[in-house]
Amino acid sequence: MTKDCAPALLSCPQILVKDATKSFSGRVVVDVKELLLGERPIEGLIGPNGAGKTTLMRMIMHSTPLDGGTIELFQTGEHEDSSVLLSALPTHQMAQLGVVKSNQVIMDFGKLTIWDSLLLACAEARFERPHRILSERSVYSRHEEEIRAWLDFFPFVDPTGFAQSAGEKKLLDIVRCLLLKPRFLLLDEPTAGLPDELTAKVMQAIKRLSEGGTTVVIVEHDLSLIWDVCERVNFMAEGQVLLQGDPEEIRKHSTVIEKYLGKGHVAG
Amino acid sequence: MEFVTESLVIGLTQYAPLILSAMGLALIYRLTGLINVAYAETITLGAYIGMWINTTFGIGFYATLLPTGVAAGLLSVVTYLAIFRPAKQRGAGVLEMIIISFGLSIFLRHGLQFVFGYPVRFYKVPRPDVVRVFDVGVTTFRLMALVSVVVLALLLYWFVQRSRLGLQIRALASDEDLAQVSGIRPLFVTVLIWFIAGAAGGLAGSFWGVGSNVAPLLGWRQFLFIFLVVMVGGAKNIGGVIIVGAVTGVALAAMTLQFGQVLYAQLALIVGFVVFMKLRARRTVGAGKV
Amino acid sequence: MNLDWLDAFLLQGVFQVVMVMGLALLLHLQMGLARIANFGVVGFWGLGAYSFAVLFVKVDWSLGAPWPFLISMAFGTVVAGLAGLLVGWLIADLETEGVLVGTLGFATSIWILAVTEQDLTGGALGMGGLRFPFDIGKTKANELLWFGILFAVVALIFLYVFRVHRSPYGRLLIAVGENEPLAGSLGKPTFRTKLWLFAVGSAGMGLLGAIHGVMAHLLLPESIGINVTLAAMVGLVLGGMARVWGAVIGVILAVGLFDVVVQSYLPLPRSWYTQAIPVLREMVFGGTLIVVLIIQPLGLLGDMRRDKLMRRIHRD
Repeated sequence: MTKDCAPALLSCPQILVKDATKSFSGRVVVDVKELLLGERPIEGLIGPNGAGKTTLMRMIMHSTPLDGGTIELFQTGEHEDSSVLLSALPTHQMAQLGVVKSNQVIMDFGKLTIWDSLLLACAEARFERPHRILSERSVYSRHEEEIRAWLDFFPFVDPTGFAQSAGEKKLLDIVRCLLLKPRFLLLDEPTAGLPDELTAKVMQAIKRLSEGGTTVVIVEHDLSLIWDVCERVNFMAEGQVLLQGDPEEIRKHSTVIEKYLGKGHVAG
Repeated sequence: MEFVTESLVIGLTQYAPLILSAMGLALIYRLTGLINVAYAETITLGAYIGMWINTTFGIGFYATLLPTGVAAGLLSVVTYLAIFRPAKQRGAGVLEMIIISFGLSIFLRHGLQFVFGYPVRFYKVPRPDVVRVFDVGVTTFRLMALVSVVVLALLLYWFVQRSRLGLQIRALASDEDLAQVSGIRPLFVTVLIWFIAGAAGGLAGSFWGVGSNVAPLLGWRQFLFIFLVVMVGGAKNIGGVIIVGAVTGVALAAMTLQFGQVLYAQLALIVGFVVFMKLRARRTVGAGKV
Repeated sequence: MNLDWLDAFLLQGVFQVVMVMGLALLLHLQMGLARIANFGVVGFWGLGAYSFAVLFVKVDWSLGAPWPFLISMAFGTVVAGLAGLLVGWLIADLETEGVLVGTLGFATSIWILAVTEQDLTGGALGMGGLRFPFDIGKTKANELLWFGILFAVVALIFLYVFRVHRSPYGRLLIAVGENEPLAGSLGKPTFRTKLWLFAVGSAGMGLLGAIHGVMAHLLLPESIGINVTLAAMVGLVLGGMARVWGAVIGVILAVGLFDVVVQSYLPLPRSWYTQAIPVLREMVFGGTLIVVLIIQPLGLLGDMRRDKLMRRIHRD
């Protein structure tokens, strides 16, 4: 296994999907024999709608149970190290292992303000117990700085209020993920619905994150972003991983890609 | 074994109305995803209406069944059009709808007392004959209840699973937008379902009422068990509800014979079914939303 | 102290209002914040009452007063809390319908046990032998003091719920209620959270039940019916499910209207009070649930104003 992450740090975490299958109402949606995510710090996962990308990501998070197969997390990227069987754990333990996923569809807490959402993401479990009714100050002072840093970086119209547009909700979802200090971050169409300046900022944040030793896997339809930022690309269609390699290699298979995604994605 | 035949005969005849009302509740649940707590009152009002027709016009019990079924069906449709449909249109969520149906149940249960009076009422019928089935004594009312339930169950099963209209109902239940595009008229089909479910409940109430008495709590007393049968029998198809309903009836009869106290049988049923639901939920893990 | 001015019915009425307020506040946490459809409120309330009574009356205490009383009260609370833990465990991963049937089933089970276990509970004839742990004079004086104790307990419950809104725990409950899968993806143990919320809420309901038992002096299975759950729910929904003050205002309006105003102040024929008024009360409660949830689902006080709250508590 080559390690291409920042040399001075630990190697990035990797996730190995083996023989993973999932069917809905008799139709096979995901059928992945073997997929290792995390060989490079930033990877892309592309494919047409209905390819199974989101379902695969949900299987990694174990919010969708697997019909068969396993998904393992190698926390320091070495196969020999002890691995964690993600497919045997409940979803809420993913974040504790540093495995975090953003959402393709808008997912929000309608009644919570932006500050609420971010404090929620940061708050340690021990402060969220029934008897800790005086802990708000502690949680706030612990996390005020890092939250403000993100609020300065990403523009929200009114952080003390609610997320105002679909774009803000999408952004909020991403910032929540970032505050969880993920070691393995799955981003499901992070820039859909965001204006270009924000897209650039999100990519900036992602690059910074990966430099710090986090593995990032991005599902995207905007291929220019993928070619630009990812060092390795996986191509899925009809539930299977058809192509894997660095952007140059993938783009060589123009016929396959065009068959699924239409012309105009492969060149420049 | 005597115990087995006794349980079977008593269970199926005594609890036939349970199966019938479970089918009705399941129809609404399958179509709308709503557990209509006020269904208990459809049952109760069926008994009251039947009793009223019987005592006011001197009509025999079996002759009251048709008008009772129709009246209960209409009542059910009225509750849909006046309350549940507007609530849904104003965006009420699952929790709100359940509480609304609970409120309606309470409203009807107590409101009817201002119409029919507070004391317990009775059908005016001659004492039923006792027939021996497999050497177990059963009143003709209960036997007829079982026969009616079997007939209605078969009719309903055929209707939902095999007829064209039933296909439309099932299509509507799984995807309303798609169903509409396919030319199915949701309002008509929905009203039909509420009518059928209401009629089933009203008839079940009549059978319960003629066998003992007609009181405001008639339906509510049974509701928990009807509800449990629907939840365990599954929202998947009517057949499951019929089978679970029959098994429940027999099990309740058997346990009552064994423990000598129907309340213990009910308690065992409640615990058993809830634990079953919990274990079943465990196996179907997350909703796959994140 | 001369308490002739105090109408016995008035005291009973106000006692009932405050009692239901306590239940509604706890229900607010479970149903208003975490969106758990607890239709079994009376089950925990009744279990607390009967457990307290059984221990207090049936055990041959060698300790002197007030220990048997206090220990029995604690027992009632703990038993209800444990029941909450068990029921919570059964229902926390079920859909709303499952929670409805599970909690309703639990309340029915408690009623069944109250009726069948006649040796313990006196069955349908009821369980007597409950009395105040003190005696400061006439009945009214004792009742007034006991009301004071109830008031203190409910005030503490209010304070707790008030503070929950302003704490990370409250935020977690709201998140679980709003979007449970999303909360889970942020690493929150939603099952465990709902479980412990249920346990704590049930313990509180049990304590209130025990307090009721002492006031009533006689426990009857017929008094642990759905009407108690209904009253708490109506008060909460009318005032506003999402607001702390919703439980308070709604209960004062709904229960207060019948148990205080109609009971003590409206000059209605005496005969009406045996049947017509109680039946009318339930009918109006049911109607209120329907009307409020269709027209203004968030009740009189509307939605929680989280933005105002957050700005206020983090003013800088």
